[in-house]
Amino acid sequence: MLLHLLVLAPFVAAILMVMTSKDDSKSSSRLAILMGIGFTAMSVALIAQGSVSTEEIEWFRIPGCKGPVYYYLTSHGLASWMVLLSCGLSLVALISARDITCRSYRNFAIGIFALMGAMNGTFLAADAVLFFFFFEAMVIPAAILIAGFGGKDRMKAAMTFAIYTLVGSAPMMVALWYLLTVADNSTLISLAVAVQSLPEGTQNVLLVCFLLAFLVKTPIFPFHGWQAITYAEAPAPLSAILTGAMSKAGVFGFIVWILPIFPLSMNTVSGLMWLGLFTAVYGALMALRATDGKKLLAFSSMGHLGLAVAGVFSLSEAMLPAVLVLLVAHGISAGAQFFLMGIAERMSGTRELEKLGGLSSTNPVFGTLFGFAGVMALAVPGTAGFVGEFSVLLTLWDMGPLPALVAGFTLILSAAYMLRFIQKVIFGKPSRIYNDGRRTTLLEGTSVGIMLLLLLVFGFHPAFVTDSLVEAESKEDPAAAQVLNDAALNNGEAPMTAEEIHQLDSTLAAAGFKDDERASIIAQMKGENGSEAAAKSENSVKEASDAK
Amino acid sequence: MELQAMYVQILALVIFAIGLIVAVSRRNVFFVLMGVELALNAVNLSFVGFAKTLPAEASIVGQVVPLFSIAVAAAEACVGLAMVILIFRNRESVDADTYSNMKG
Amino acid sequence: MISLGLIPLFPLLGCIILGAIAVISSGSKKGPAEGFVGTLAVLFPALSFGGVALLALNMPEGGIRETLCNWIDIPMFRVDIGFLFDGLSRIMLLFVTGIGSLIALYSIGYMHGDRGFARYFAYINLFLFSMIVLVLSDNLLLTFLGWEGVGLCSYLLIGFWNKDIKNCKAANKAFIVNRVGDIGFLLGMLCLVTIGGSAILNYDVLSNFISMVINGNHVELVIPVLSVAGILFFIGCTGKSAQIPLLTWLPDAMAGPTPVSALIHAATMVTSGVYLLARLGSMFALLPVVLDIIVIVGMLTAFWAAVAGLFQNDIKKVLAYSTISQLGYMFMASGVCAFDASIFHVFTHAFFKAALFLGAGAVIHALAGEQDMRKMGGLLRKTPITACVMIFAFLAIVGFPGFSGFWSKDLILEKIFMSSTMGQAVYVVGLITAVITAVYMGRLIILTFFGSYRGSKESEEHIHEAPAVMLIPMVILAFGAVFAGYLWADSIGIKFFAESLAPVVGAAQAYNAPAVTAHVNPVVFAALGTVAALLGMFIAYKIYANARIPAAKGSSAPEGGKATWTFLFDSIHKYVGIIPVNVLAWICDVVVDKILAATQWTIGAIATILGDGAATFQVRKVRLQIALSILGLVALVAIVLLTGGSF
Repeated sequence: MLLHLLVLAPFVAAILMVMTSKDDSKSSSRLAILMGIGFTAMSVALIAQGSVSTEEIEWFRIPGCKGPVYYYLTSHGLASWMVLLSCGLSLVALISARDITCRSYRNFAIGIFALMGAMNGTFLAADAVLFFFFFEAMVIPAAILIAGFGGKDRMKAAMTFAIYTLVGSAPMMVALWYLLTVADNSTLISLAVAVQSLPEGTQNVLLVCFLLAFLVKTPIFPFHGWQAITYAEAPAPLSAILTGAMSKAGVFGFIVWILPIFPLSMNTVSGLMWLGLFTAVYGALMALRATDGKKLLAFSSMGHLGLAVAGVFSLSEAMLPAVLVLLVAHGISAGAQFFLMGIAERMSGTRELEKLGGLSSTNPVFGTLFGFAGVMALAVPGTAGFVGEFSVLLTLWDMGPLPALVAGFTLILSAAYMLRFIQKVIFGKPSRIYNDGRRTTLLEGTSVGIMLLLLLVFGFHPAFVTDSLVEAESKEDPAAAQVLNDAALNNGEAPMTAEEIHQLDSTLAAAGFKDDERASIIAQMKGENGSEAAAKSENSVKEASDAK
Repeated sequence: MELQAMYVQILALVIFAIGLIVAVSRRNVFFVLMGVELALNAVNLSFVGFAKTLPAEASIVGQVVPLFSIAVAAAEACVGLAMVILIFRNRESVDADTYSNMKG
Repeated sequence: MISLGLIPLFPLLGCIILGAIAVISSGSKKGPAEGFVGTLAVLFPALSFGGVALLALNMPEGGIRETLCNWIDIPMFRVDIGFLFDGLSRIMLLFVTGIGSLIALYSIGYMHGDRGFARYFAYINLFLFSMIVLVLSDNLLLTFLGWEGVGLCSYLLIGFWNKDIKNCKAANKAFIVNRVGDIGFLLGMLCLVTIGGSAILNYDVLSNFISMVINGNHVELVIPVLSVAGILFFIGCTGKSAQIPLLTWLPDAMAGPTPVSALIHAATMVTSGVYLLARLGSMFALLPVVLDIIVIVGMLTAFWAAVAGLFQNDIKKVLAYSTISQLGYMFMASGVCAFDASIFHVFTHAFFKAALFLGAGAVIHALAGEQDMRKMGGLLRKTPITACVMIFAFLAIVGFPGFSGFWSKDLILEKIFMSSTMGQAVYVVGLITAVITAVYMGRLIILTFFGSYRGSKESEEHIHEAPAVMLIPMVILAFGAVFAGYLWADSIGIKFFAESLAPVVGAAQAYNAPAVTAHVNPVVFAALGTVAALLGMFIAYKIYANARIPAAKGSSAPEGGKATWTFLFDSIHKYVGIIPVNVLAWICDVVVDKILAATQWTIGAIATILGDGAATFQVRKVRLQIALSILGLVALVAIVLLTGGSF
């Protein structure tokens, strides 16, 4: 029920907004914000609920395909957090848009709700055709909003955005159609089965078609041409949604649709990882030279998402929680930064870094928020960004020291551009007085403050985020978990648990130790633990690995 | 004498041809519209003519379809006339050749 | 017994409360009441100092361990938030919270009337929180939290007066240079995780692992990986503790308020690199190559910074270079595995350098912001208490017999001499550096306090002694500077300090016991050290006491060859780091991105051209179009009919 509500109700909300007054932005904004709060509450409930699915409702049949297309939604840890991002950022966008688009708030809200519904559909769809439908549907409200409410170059930006993303996903449609003629129906499993039966050449072509759609959406070098201009020209609240939630659809697609469906060769995986890393470096370098505040943020987003994609294709065991935390952290912090940049633009009437400055002395509350958001984006430990980036670094370390080194390099670069950004916007002498702009309102300040607070909370207790994934795993394999628990109990007071010894063993193996050397190290370790408990734990470790 | 179905079809063809020629050759947009209507009616006639060739119970189907298409044609005429009037207001001309503002 | 978690909690609470006050009062013209804010600001550090003192008195032999809760728990990686209070963290915490409280007290006087009063103290409290977490945590990841946290606070406080872009640039530089080191720390942690899983990040597990490796004769196996980890950690330490090559940020960091320089950039934060080396002592003891690197880096840094200190005209810059040089001594000690000696020097250095900085702050305060020593002079009569504090601290830093620096510095030099074959050469450089130290510090004291006043006449009348709230902490620190050394006075047989550290670093030091067994009487080292100090002071007196000081014009930065020496590493950074990155960025921006844009444009243009071409098939006349389409239809029908429908 919740799933249906989250996907369909936003469209109903959009229709409701049509009925509100066109001129009185106050009253329509009240309705919009109330509904936004409702959706956010629902998405929180969705996370609390864990993994659920709806029934498979037959939707329509594509001519030439074996099975029908289902209207079939499912939520899992990753999806429900992405839905939270989309709903939460839409809510804040609705709040902060009040003072940006006074002319026709109603139309803006209609667009935002339609976009939200499409994004929720993208993240929750369990049917490939349904996913593709929403994946494409996202573009339309976004493009219209850019064209309607953007900056000077808005028409060009909207066209670039729409054409780039639609053309990017066109091959995916063809590939999907082809797959459907082979597969029983369009759910994930049957697609995966169908791909297995195809010859390798065909598989590769299909893979490229699918990849292209997600590479463009994320965006990954060299398909980022649409990004900077779109984020810069879009109204700031929309940019926040675009980077915070919509661009996640690309990474989401890699995790949920590419990895399970296609059997990837090692070369493909490492190629994609390096592409992600290159994007991370490239985005950081471009951000270093950006002169437009929003473009800087756009490139910074590109860099972070490149890192996320690199993490995805490290294919390490810890990949999913690592990338999830990184995505959530980036969604919140980049979103907050775009909102704040929008306020800065409103107050000073410009996005040019050279013309901004001194905002912290004229508006201390804004300065504090902005500085905080900037620091959070630096992934200082204690913020969610750090947990995300550190664990992604950990997964990259699995692929070898070089990827981790490159990722570390991007962290240094990110410090360089972000500090420059903070300095140019809020420090120094006020270089420009702009009377039209309104200061930070209480509601805006509070909502951005809450976002920043969330980052801190997730930074100190990332289990809020990662637990939504663990739950699913332990359900799958209760027997092994039981054995491991028993082993831990048997060990009692031993300083190293069986699990840790097991881990030590595997890591030693990874570090290139020979079998006998490893055995002797571990034997010694156990010798310290007391021999009896050690023997037991060894047995239980074996049992556990057998059970797996 | 039983009316041969073939003659009806020939008549329909002639009317259709006249309608088409009128639609294509006249520059006055009202004549174009009339030509289109004529062609449409010729098709209706053709339907009725063919209906006659069927057995009595089934021929009713062939006679119902023209009813539909007459209704549609009426609607089409409405919209068409309205459009023509609107275009006339903007262009102050009934010459169909001046109506083109598309590229090429 | 109080919970360990309370100790960092106090400053954190203070930070939150003061931060809230700062934000709420930001709208008003006047700002919050200074008395109230000041009381809160000193109260919280003092509370945590009290807690540390209480714990320190009742500490059991093995230390106190406490795990609060789980922090990160993902597959392959699990880290808890836990605290470890043992001999090492006891000493660090005592002086961190103690000096922190004193400097907070001093700041009330120094920052009087500043608009960002509450904000400043919020930052100071945040800094103390991070610093306490750094030294109190029981695993590397949590230490890293404190590690970056202090870096962040240092950034915030250097750029405290953020209306001046120059301060912001210094702050940015500090953060970015530190970031380079921090990445080393991060990768070092990853390297450790490779050999022992995430559990090895815990200090206890790590030292168990090391002792297990030693007992099982597996040392050769782990050395390659551990060496990489050790070098990476050492890079982290060079960043935080301003050693070659990552030292350029510290002199610039003097842009911050002077109490900040005293607390962060002299007494506490910059010594956290030394702390980390001692904490990981058991690991570093296994790695002779890394240890040699540390000794050489420490030696070069100590010497280079001492010479650079000679060239500075800005009083705070002299102290900054002096800090770098003293940190070099500490690294030298760490490099010969004398971790207790290095921590002892950290301890005494905290007192005398904080006293020197606070004294310099009082001088700057008295002269209304003047920092150029060429415009000072003769302040002994005008600010006698400040002068006395600084002279005591001066005697401590040059290693005058009986003062704290004498004990710790001589101990380090002695340990270096006794160490490996390289030790004697390093010892000589260390001794020369000690002479130079005495020269530049003597120059500072003479230029500031002796001779006659060289500033403008009208400014002379405003010179005044600092208020009591500033003087009290200075005097306390001066006492520390004189007497802190008696906790480990080797020559007279007091070894309290070494014994309290022994449970933590003893094993590591025993593993790397001195190679040179020949016994040399400690008195010889003491005598040589004293001679070095006296010689340096004598040289300083000869050169500067009666010399005509050139009138100050323009900036206080050194010029000519002096500038080349001072900014040596700045220019290296420029050519190795900044310019290549900028060139890369330029290539990305101007070449690659433009090529991509051109490709994009080309594809668009091709599509447009094709479209235009197709559009020419369109005929202008509507009637003709209809006629043509009918013809086309007829043609199609004809084809279908003629081919019999098979087509």
